[in-house]
Amino acid sequence: MSKSMEGVAKALESFETEYVENYKPTWFKAKLKSPDEIVAVAEAMKAEGLRTLSTVSPTDWPEEGIMEMNYFFEDLETKRNCWVKCEIPRDPERCEIDSITPVVPSAEWHEREAYSMFGVRFRNHPDLRYLILSPDYYGKFPFRADFDMAAHEKEQLEHVKEIVRDFKAEQEANDAELDPEGSEMVLNWGPTHPASGPIRLKVRCDGEDILGVDPEIGYVWRALENLVTRKDFVGAIVAVERLCFMDNINSMTGYCMAVEEIAGVEITPFAKWMRTLLGEIARISSHMMGTGNFYNTMGLHTIMLWNLDVREYFLDVLESYSGARIATAAIEPGGVRYPLDMKLMDELQRALDKFDATIGDIETVFAKNPTMRHRARKIGKISAQEAIDWGLSGPVLRASGVRSDVRLDEPYAAYDQVEMDYVTVPGGTAADRFQTIFEELKQSVKIIKQAKKRIEEGVASGEFDPSKDHMVKVPKKLPAGEAVSRVEWARGEVLMHLVTKEKAKSPYRLKMRAPSFNHTMVLDRLLRGKTLSDIPLVFGSMYVCQGDLDR
Amino acid sequence: MLGTFIDAFVFPGLLYALVWTVGLFWFFRKFMAPLHKRVGPYFNGPHGSYQTLFDLSKLWTKESITPKGVNSYLFSIMPLLAVVIGLLPAAVVPWTPSGPALSSQYSLLILVVLIGIEPFLFFLTGFGSENKYSFLGGIRVLTQAISFETAFFLAALAPALFFGSLDLSVIVEKSSWGSFLILLPAFAIYFVALLGLLEQPPFNIPDAEQEVVYGFLTEYSGTNYFLLNLSKFVEFMAVFAGAGALYMGAYKGIFFDGYTWFFLKMVAVAVVMITIRAATPRITLNQMLAFSWRWLVPISLINLAWVLLARALFFS
Repeated sequence: MSKSMEGVAKALESFETEYVENYKPTWFKAKLKSPDEIVAVAEAMKAEGLRTLSTVSPTDWPEEGIMEMNYFFEDLETKRNCWVKCEIPRDPERCEIDSITPVVPSAEWHEREAYSMFGVRFRNHPDLRYLILSPDYYGKFPFRADFDMAAHEKEQLEHVKEIVRDFKAEQEANDAELDPEGSEMVLNWGPTHPASGPIRLKVRCDGEDILGVDPEIGYVWRALENLVTRKDFVGAIVAVERLCFMDNINSMTGYCMAVEEIAGVEITPFAKWMRTLLGEIARISSHMMGTGNFYNTMGLHTIMLWNLDVREYFLDVLESYSGARIATAAIEPGGVRYPLDMKLMDELQRALDKFDATIGDIETVFAKNPTMRHRARKIGKISAQEAIDWGLSGPVLRASGVRSDVRLDEPYAAYDQVEMDYVTVPGGTAADRFQTIFEELKQSVKIIKQAKKRIEEGVASGEFDPSKDHMVKVPKKLPAGEAVSRVEWARGEVLMHLVTKEKAKSPYRLKMRAPSFNHTMVLDRLLRGKTLSDIPLVFGSMYVCQGDLDR
Repeated sequence: MLGTFIDAFVFPGLLYALVWTVGLFWFFRKFMAPLHKRVGPYFNGPHGSYQTLFDLSKLWTKESITPKGVNSYLFSIMPLLAVVIGLLPAAVVPWTPSGPALSSQYSLLILVVLIGIEPFLFFLTGFGSENKYSFLGGIRVLTQAISFETAFFLAALAPALFFGSLDLSVIVEKSSWGSFLILLPAFAIYFVALLGLLEQPPFNIPDAEQEVVYGFLTEYSGTNYFLLNLSKFVEFMAVFAGAGALYMGAYKGIFFDGYTWFFLKMVAVAVVMITIRAATPRITLNQMLAFSWRWLVPISLINLAWVLLARALFFS
């Protein structure tokens, strides 16, 4: 590896910083003295190779009167990351910072979200509109610490007439913009379209040709990041797992790692292996839906039903372990929530047998389907460089040939002891993304087999005690602190940024960076100039879940 | 007089079409289910066979909503017209050895023309719906119909050239195992064109749920929706009957001749169609156009040459 961590430190040297410290083996943490330098820092980071911005996370400190900005820069190729902080005034009038979107394109929607939720205005942002919030939103910014629901509702009611007026004005603007004699029109692709899910794509098209796509999100916004601050550290897992129901285990793992880091608790090896095992089961459950959904977008439902048949067996395992098939709440700060009954391993074996017996058929009929390949290998092409610049992650990134996987880059749980390799497919088209997800299914099964063997051996030799080792105690009150954790979720990288206050019983701020956000951001670039038939397929291949898109 | 009434309303008319629709709909579901690893209709009647009847009668009796701003005359007349036009071809098909309800020298011509009109009616339903998705669907119906009807007509022309007659009864009477083999390429082309005309996968482009929200059907509900579905199933019947009569000898069979054989042949076509449906994703409009005009139409022209050659070689 030619580029080292020192390079990152060197890149930061020329700026005035309060501190630069080694945060984790792959992370630097720095605090800038002046927020005006953020664009220069982004340029320096980009020059050093840290071209992706994972997310922007503001933390609101009303007592001090500051808004603390956290930028997470990543280099997806050489696995170096840098956490840059700076402070800006929180007073809504002066809450401004330069936008880094012109330098780092992946920041675009993250800055829009920070603007919508905290009211941070980004100067020079190319398209600073509300995201998630409705464009006709009146009132205070919802994630600010002094947000008052009662006052907000009152304010909304006062502005009802303005909201109606804006809505009508928007409609009239649409009509005026489109030539009544021409064939251009704006299609509302969702939120009740059969293939859209709760998202609205404003598709501007000329007949079947797409002129532009403007995604409008926020239809399933549950304010999960705010919800966790009203729960205690254990109770927060039920909000975290609702990031997306398809893979709920890994998101909980990420959150629990952040809590454990602040509490200074090390979990047992047994709990680590359990997190690996359950995480891969959840990944299979998600990928089964993902591959099925890919074909659903082309009007073929057979593979989805075949997949669901196999997926049931894996859900049975989750049900036997936690009592729930989907929302398991099975990972808790300090380990895993329940002791392990070794009978579960027999049930797991049944699921693995079912998988092995079925996967061949699915591969022959669907993974190698010539009609699908003929159609999907021509559209949605993303080069490796574009994927990195746009901050894509997970199977979508690996389908463009980039070797990036948090399980290997920054091993958590027991992944440092697991034998696995990057599943990459060159090409970057919709067909390649399907291929990657399909290959990862097989990889997950291999990991489950290793974890199962290790747990069985450990229990047999007396190394693990499945009735006691699942948990270590985590104090109910945590010290003031800040932690960042990353996990490889089924859809890609999930970054959790957790902030706590002294003697806190609940998180003060939790930022969840979820992959679908970036994957939806690039839809316009992928679909412009294509035809309407390509929308569902490209959208399906981006493996988007509206749950983690809106949060 | 009574005979005409029976022809029009019982067999091969309205009642027959209704029974066929209910039966074929149920068969589609029940046959598709195991391919999907499901059970399919189960609870009502033997093997769930009443299920479809209930579904259709439910649709029939539901409120039919006409959206604001549409031409309500065009909107409501088209489904009815589609059913009537769809029922007519049954009159010229020789279902039994006693011949068709309406004998004509040009019965093949009547059959293909009436089948060919159907997509234009669907286009008009989409056009009259005042909905962007319906309009796109309507345009797609038209595009697809133009692309596939050429191949469809050319394939249907092959038996007429071979036997030297446009009368379906004559074609059926003259057909034999030898003619079946010679007309096999024409049958294959007819079958592919049939998938396109009936909007079946991989050519289910006009009513693509994930793309144009069922296309021209988007705004329809209740009785009108029922009528449009009925017309589609009746069209299935006409096209399958065309396949049976043109290439497979219609009612002719082993040991005895009769409607049973015709029915089995139509079911065989349906089985192949559903199996393709369960294993093939949809292609795009551009791919469909390229396939139709670059491959299907030229091949069906070559096929005509082959049929004429075979006729000159073996049957002159």
